[in-house]
Amino acid sequence: MEDDYRPLLSPEQTGECYSNRDSTDSLDFKTKRPFHVEPRNIVGDDPQERVSAEAAILNSRVHYYSRLTASSDRLLSPPNHVIPWPGELYIYSPLGTAFKVTGSDPSSKNPSIITIFAIWNTMMGTSILSIPWGIKQAGFTLGVLILIFTGLLMLYCCYIVLKSPKSIPYVDAADWEFPDVCRYYFGKFGQWSSLVFSMVSLIGAMVVYWVLMSNFLYNSGQFIYNYVHNVNVSDSEFGTNGSDKVICPFPNTNPGGNSTIGTLYLGNSGNETSDVSFDHWWSKTNTVPLYLITLLLPLLCFRSASFFARFTFLGTISVVYLIVLVTIKAVHLGFHLEFHWFDGTQFYVPEFRLLFPQFTGVLTLAFFIHNCVITLMKSNKHQENNVRDLSVAYLLVGLTYLYVGVLIFAAFPSPPLFKDCIEPNFLDNFPSSDVMVFVARTFLLFQMITVYPLLGYLVRVQVMGQIFGNPYPSFFHVLALNILIVGSGVLMAKFYPNIGSIIRFSGATCGLALVFVFPALVHMISLRRQGLLRWPSALFHSFLILLGVANLLAQFFM
Amino acid sequence: MSSTAMKKKVLLMGKSGSGKTSMRSIIFANYIARDTRRLGATIDVEHSHVRFLGNLVLNLWDCGGQDTFMENYFTSQRDNIFRNVEVLIYIFDVESRELEKDMHYYQSCLEAILQNSPDAKVFCLVHKMDLVQEDQRDLIFKEREEDLKRLSRPLACTCFRTSIWDETLYKAWSSIVYQLIPNVQQLETNLRNFAQIIEADEVLLFERATFLVISHYQCKEQRDAHRFEKISNIIKQFKLSCSKLAASFQSMEVRNSNFAAFIDVFTSNTYVMVIMSDPSIPSAATLINIRNARKHFEKLERVDGPKHSLHMRMR
Repeated sequence: MEDDYRPLLSPEQTGECYSNRDSTDSLDFKTKRPFHVEPRNIVGDDPQERVSAEAAILNSRVHYYSRLTASSDRLLSPPNHVIPWPGELYIYSPLGTAFKVTGSDPSSKNPSIITIFAIWNTMMGTSILSIPWGIKQAGFTLGVLILIFTGLLMLYCCYIVLKSPKSIPYVDAADWEFPDVCRYYFGKFGQWSSLVFSMVSLIGAMVVYWVLMSNFLYNSGQFIYNYVHNVNVSDSEFGTNGSDKVICPFPNTNPGGNSTIGTLYLGNSGNETSDVSFDHWWSKTNTVPLYLITLLLPLLCFRSASFFARFTFLGTISVVYLIVLVTIKAVHLGFHLEFHWFDGTQFYVPEFRLLFPQFTGVLTLAFFIHNCVITLMKSNKHQENNVRDLSVAYLLVGLTYLYVGVLIFAAFPSPPLFKDCIEPNFLDNFPSSDVMVFVARTFLLFQMITVYPLLGYLVRVQVMGQIFGNPYPSFFHVLALNILIVGSGVLMAKFYPNIGSIIRFSGATCGLALVFVFPALVHMISLRRQGLLRWPSALFHSFLILLGVANLLAQFFM
Repeated sequence: MSSTAMKKKVLLMGKSGSGKTSMRSIIFANYIARDTRRLGATIDVEHSHVRFLGNLVLNLWDCGGQDTFMENYFTSQRDNIFRNVEVLIYIFDVESRELEKDMHYYQSCLEAILQNSPDAKVFCLVHKMDLVQEDQRDLIFKEREEDLKRLSRPLACTCFRTSIWDETLYKAWSSIVYQLIPNVQQLETNLRNFAQIIEADEVLLFERATFLVISHYQCKEQRDAHRFEKISNIIKQFKLSCSKLAASFQSMEVRNSNFAAFIDVFTSNTYVMVIMSDPSIPSAATLINIRNARKHFEKLERVDGPKHSLHMRMR
């Protein structure tokens, strides 16, 4: 380096330096202006947020090293393993602020088929067990029509939810979920209400899970006990004869039936006292829900749920097995369909019934994915195909539900039994001695035991995160929340184990906010702000809101 | 003026491709011209008349080139190369597959040092550590350090692990420079007194050629742990820009409503940076203080040892 004793700026040398310069003002001492250094803040709500230290120093190094080589020389350019992961990448704008790069790792993009499968897998819940009952409540023809219509409606609402972050101007909304969009449009109220309604769907699902788990555990235990003690209980339940037995657990609820038939059903007619004491200790509503507490409450208190996320494959296997089971039962039982359009008979239900809102309530939860669809579609490799993939996924889900619902409804042996006997959980229509159904119940039991802590984790993260700012404030906070959730599940299992009702009420409630009202409002407001709102569109979306409200109200009145 | 025989050397040695040229370029802010980046061995020694630590000359040598011509040259010129060495910095590529060969060349360099400049200080840099997985870095470095220390006996070598992609390179060279500055502890004490007298928030002492921080004093905790390297990079970039205009950098003042920072020449080996958080103190006052302190610190440097009187005669 040169001898650097010569000062850079000295009045007598200014004239000399001028001759070497292109522009004359930068060395002119009198017009020297201060040089502004950028603050390097991240654009965001929090003014204190700064670029991370590692990112800042790497930026400084890269700047400096790039001055040491020719621009085409790659000698000192950062190798791949040195470049920060995308969450730590910042783009410095000339205006002096920095934006965080939100693009996700390109290697985690999934092809369409995986995305479609993920959506199908997420949507397929336990509501599949209630679809036959729902079709029965609405009437066969009306049920099928409602399923198609509701599926299309929910698909459209899902599409506007998916579109909603994209039309937010000036803000980088790329990694917003739908509650964030609600907060943008409706402020704190929007954020809190979308959270509350999301909780309704989650806690409703958890209560349903508890009831179902008690049911399956009870039946599995019953099966094992009967198998071990060779107890034959086939005569004690009202049902068909033969090898593929279908039973009607509560025949006296049949509204059109003769009440004398109902009195045939007594408690189990076993003569052994050990049966009675076993029933005392192993009761579907009294004791089994309590036994589950010892298993599940500790699992809920785990800090992280990533262990349980590995078992999502069990859900897929259960659904596939259910489809196979339904097909085999339908083949063995044959079809029993008669079309009575508006009046039911003793054995059959009318094709159009006034109880159809119960089915729409169930379907609102069955097709519900609106609180996480944005996140699911984010990892789709070809984002331009999002709408197509979503539609295909909804189509597949609808077909699955339709298949199971129609087959069970059609194959339900109506001459000896009443169609009205179809239970909200259609597996209840099979005795606990049925081997195939026992296997299905066991699969579903295991699947639910692994999904239950995941749902609990989601509830905990959202509730604790919003109220306390920390997903795990202390063991006692989390324990209190878990006891509340488990307690509500146990109480429901004991006093009101009708999963059809639980599903339809929670579906209609969370559907009101997250499917109908908020998406439609957000869509209309964003269109209005862009000046693109037309009368037909406004009318249609207002009608959607009315539908949502009507759906909820009808659950109480029908 | 002074022939190469009189000037003391800093030898930067290592196998071809171990990263010497890049390291030299980064530390000394030299532009790497295209032809110096080659796949083959350095044909000639690269002299640079860097005023590094008071008239030391930096020499860059490739060791263990494949070319037999290169090897012969190295052997025949050995005494010339290794005479008058003040510092030997040897660079090992952590990814090298020929560990035995590397050690062999290193040992032959050490032999030459022992014969020709037994007082030289030896530093070993295990370089390109970013290519090693994070959880293995400590382990691998410890292994190499043990081997090198063992091989270097009776000379004492100090080992560092470095990478140009994190702060280790800067810290390693700062440590090297710290060990080479004469009477550095005295400088530090006086620096602290100086800082307290002029009521500065932070005072840094940089080495002149490389802007490596030799010592610093701060009166309260600072948020950014990487600020030394950042300042060094900024000033070196500025020096590069200045050199393109055939201008040289002497001093700088940066000021806003919250602070004022002054960078100025200090002693023959150093620059000083003073940061005042009280903007009401006029610049002239701080500059006068710095000028007065400069005289005092130069006196300090002059006091010690025959080495410095030698430098004084050359100046």
